[in-house]
Amino acid sequence: MRPVVVAVVALGLTLPGIARAQGQDSLATFDHPRHRKLFPSCATCHAAVEQAGQSWFPEAAECATCHDGTIQKRVTYQPPREPTPSNLRYDHLRHRDRVLATQAAAGQEAKPPACEECHSEAADPWMTAKRPIPTRCFACHGIQAQHVAAPDTACATCHVTLPEATRLTRADIAAFDTPPSHREKGFLTAAGHGALARGSGGTAVAASCATCHARDFCLTCHVDAPEQPAIQALAPDPRSTAIAAQLKAPASHERDDFLDRHGEDVAPDGKRCSTCHTRESCLACHASSPRVATALYSYGAGRGPGAVVTRHAPVWHAADFTERHAGRAAAAPNSCAGCHARSECLECHRPNPASAPGYHPVGFLSRHPAAAYARESSCNDCHNTGGFCVTCHASVGLTSRATLGANHYHDAQPSFALGHGQAARQSLETCIGCHVEKDCLLCHSAVGGRRFNPHGPGFDAQRLKSKNPQMCSACHGTNIP
Amino acid sequence: MNRFALALLLATVPDAAAAQVGYRLRLDARVQAVSYRGLTPDSIPVTDTVTGPGGGPGTASGYAAYCVAGEAYCSFYRPGPELRAVPLETEADLSLWGFGVPGLSARIDARLGTDLGNATTWPGTEPAVQLKEGYVEYARDWLLARGGRQIVSSRLGYLGFDGGYAVVRDSRHGLEADGYAGWGLARGSLLPVTSPDLNPLDEFRPAERTVVAGVDGGWSGSRFDLRANYRREVDPTVSYFVSERAAAQAVVYPLNRVTLQAGSDWDLAAGEWGSAEASASYAAPRVNATAGVRRYRPYFDLWSIWMAFSPVPYHTWFGQVGGRPVQWLELRGRYERYAFDPTEVSTALVNVKNDGWRYEVGGTITRAAWTLDAGWHGDFGPGASSSGLSASASYALSRWRLTAFATGFDRPLELRYEDAKFWSLGLDAQTEISPTLRCSLGAAYYKEDRQRPDAGGVDWSQLRLNAQVTLVLGRAADMLRLPKAVRRQPGGRAAR
Repeated sequence: MRPVVVAVVALGLTLPGIARAQGQDSLATFDHPRHRKLFPSCATCHAAVEQAGQSWFPEAAECATCHDGTIQKRVTYQPPREPTPSNLRYDHLRHRDRVLATQAAAGQEAKPPACEECHSEAADPWMTAKRPIPTRCFACHGIQAQHVAAPDTACATCHVTLPEATRLTRADIAAFDTPPSHREKGFLTAAGHGALARGSGGTAVAASCATCHARDFCLTCHVDAPEQPAIQALAPDPRSTAIAAQLKAPASHERDDFLDRHGEDVAPDGKRCSTCHTRESCLACHASSPRVATALYSYGAGRGPGAVVTRHAPVWHAADFTERHAGRAAAAPNSCAGCHARSECLECHRPNPASAPGYHPVGFLSRHPAAAYARESSCNDCHNTGGFCVTCHASVGLTSRATLGANHYHDAQPSFALGHGQAARQSLETCIGCHVEKDCLLCHSAVGGRRFNPHGPGFDAQRLKSKNPQMCSACHGTNIP
Repeated sequence: MNRFALALLLATVPDAAAAQVGYRLRLDARVQAVSYRGLTPDSIPVTDTVTGPGGGPGTASGYAAYCVAGEAYCSFYRPGPELRAVPLETEADLSLWGFGVPGLSARIDARLGTDLGNATTWPGTEPAVQLKEGYVEYARDWLLARGGRQIVSSRLGYLGFDGGYAVVRDSRHGLEADGYAGWGLARGSLLPVTSPDLNPLDEFRPAERTVVAGVDGGWSGSRFDLRANYRREVDPTVSYFVSERAAAQAVVYPLNRVTLQAGSDWDLAAGEWGSAEASASYAAPRVNATAGVRRYRPYFDLWSIWMAFSPVPYHTWFGQVGGRPVQWLELRGRYERYAFDPTEVSTALVNVKNDGWRYEVGGTITRAAWTLDAGWHGDFGPGASSSGLSASASYALSRWRLTAFATGFDRPLELRYEDAKFWSLGLDAQTEISPTLRCSLGAAYYKEDRQRPDAGGVDWSQLRLNAQVTLVLGRAADMLRLPKAVRRQPGGRAAR
């Protein structure tokens, strides 16, 4: 069975964790341990934790009762106007009331939860105030796990979804811890994060995903977002892209022959590719065969841009591919047509004079005699001898205009006119770049010339006569042997 | 037929416009300014000749003359007049689809060319208007049918004709068959063989356009591609064959990275084995190599007499190796040695080579915006040889590309006293003004020194200027930006 090419998202190293607000942080500005001998109760300053409608923070005037410049030096302090930004769903008074109700229901003695049960480690001295410590919460709630490794159902106990945590900034979100599951091999596949994202108990998406992520984050990679219920179950939130995600090609794409054979992967169900690829990414190469891309979704609203595909030649388009592509193109034209339009072939095989020349190297005109005499490739495939070669040769005087040999162009061989037979049989295509039949018939005619027989090795007179006797009559007249 | 296709296309357009027709139009325009000089045959009375530079007869002005015993005049070549060509050529390639019938499309590709200079004819500019393709096509997964002016390709070469073409496919089993028939165009041309523009020296030509027909069959699997072709051309005036050829080609992929291929064609009309080759290739990301053998034998249409002169094939063995030792460096090298079959003629007075070899070594460095390419080639064989260096440097920004190139090589001829030395320098600037509009300007200076013992060494030195504009217009979901410009050096087609 072929490797399943499913999810190919490589999420960045920083992924979901638990909110840790970095905004206005009183813990960072007020040295709690230094004041531990002054305050017997947290509620002295944070009255709101015990009574609704009270202030969360002390007024500056209250601090000034000591920090008056005489008893203690003055301090600059302004109470925060809002609670510290967080994605916690925690309400102190409601939590206290629930604990008391639970105790009452269990017939236990009423014992309101103390602040240090969440804000300090068990061994910490008084007023070692910290941000809520998840393990302390887990201890009461019976969760046996590390914080960001908590089971899916646990997250929503304390946290709201990311879109609901409206006061978190992008920096806050980017600083979320990454759960260990996100670093496991295979997490980027459908069997990895795809399976984890499926909600349980009738929900479309796992609560653990929704704690740190929103739909926009998924759109970083997922072209098929509208078709994924889990993604649609997430609310949109542009801040969620603060967690960096980067598409990474799956291992199957690294195969040497992937470029040649990926069609076989696609064929059964193009949807498999549509997770990361848009129709446009196919068309980067398959511009000439857009039908292959119809199984995929076109980039648009609600879809991610997907993998950005760069068109490049397969490795077997080697340095001499231009000269040697004919065989493969002749055997498998449809393979070529996957990426190349017919018009591209015709750019060379029927050259577009309005476009810059592409096949021959710079200065080829001056070295074309060497290429033409012993044809490395057939000039006639692209150039008509009469319309191209002869026309140009004629304009510069390189055509026969008198009795053969009279002008003695081939002057490096003084007797060339008498001994040109070998050169002619080897390079006849080159000869007719300057000569026409009449030049040759002066000698090689059975009726009016010197009757030199031009027929050489392999000449099949009967066959040629049967195919086209008119050719024979050019030399033999009506008396064809 | 051609007019019919055009009429059908034009008749379809108005209705199609209302049916949300998609279109794509590519316009290319290029103008060059070239000046060059050829040869002019001349003669002088025998009595006016002097002893020439090689000891033989010559003119007083230093040209070696050729005198035939008993003739009153001797002949010689003097440099011809300076010719100035200013070819202005445009090509428009229009594709249309969305006529309300899924799979129905049309294409017309035509060119317009003229020479604004004083040269007699710049190749390809007569007639001024030429239709490359103009057809209506209907395509489904299993069927493709096309009618009009079109060009088909196979191992038997590219063939233009006005007629019909159909392909049926069984994609599930990898089978495909196609057939075509129509009135043919001449080889390597957009004109019929009857066109006087293809016959400047008054060759023998058919009185009517040839009738062409062919069939191809292919079978592809995951490890092989096979294809066979048959094509014939008939002169309808006399119902004789102009050509009849067949071919077969196979490509096998036995192992990952390894490809074997072989193919051949046969000239059925002449009863000759044509060209053929067999090769094995290895291609990996860092190294690739090919080794093989091949033969090349030309074929000629039977409206000419050339097949009666029994052209002989040559056989070669060749090898190619390329590699990318580091990401920024690509190296290449290839070699081919060939020898002609015995010609079975006695030419005691003339000594002509019957074998030769070709090679090329080179490398390309790509660093940031720079691409540097250099190569040395050699081509030694019968008739003419050349060897020398080509180099180029390109600097590419997002929308600009500047390329400088230089070449220098020797180019001796075997049959004429002209051991030319040649070099050139050029500069090319290209800008992509928008994703659909590209312009370029270029200049190149060519210097050639034809070394002869007399004054007949003509000077082909010249300055070429060119300007080009390419524009793409269209309306389609898959409308893409312009493809990269094709340039052999640097980058070239391999970079596409």
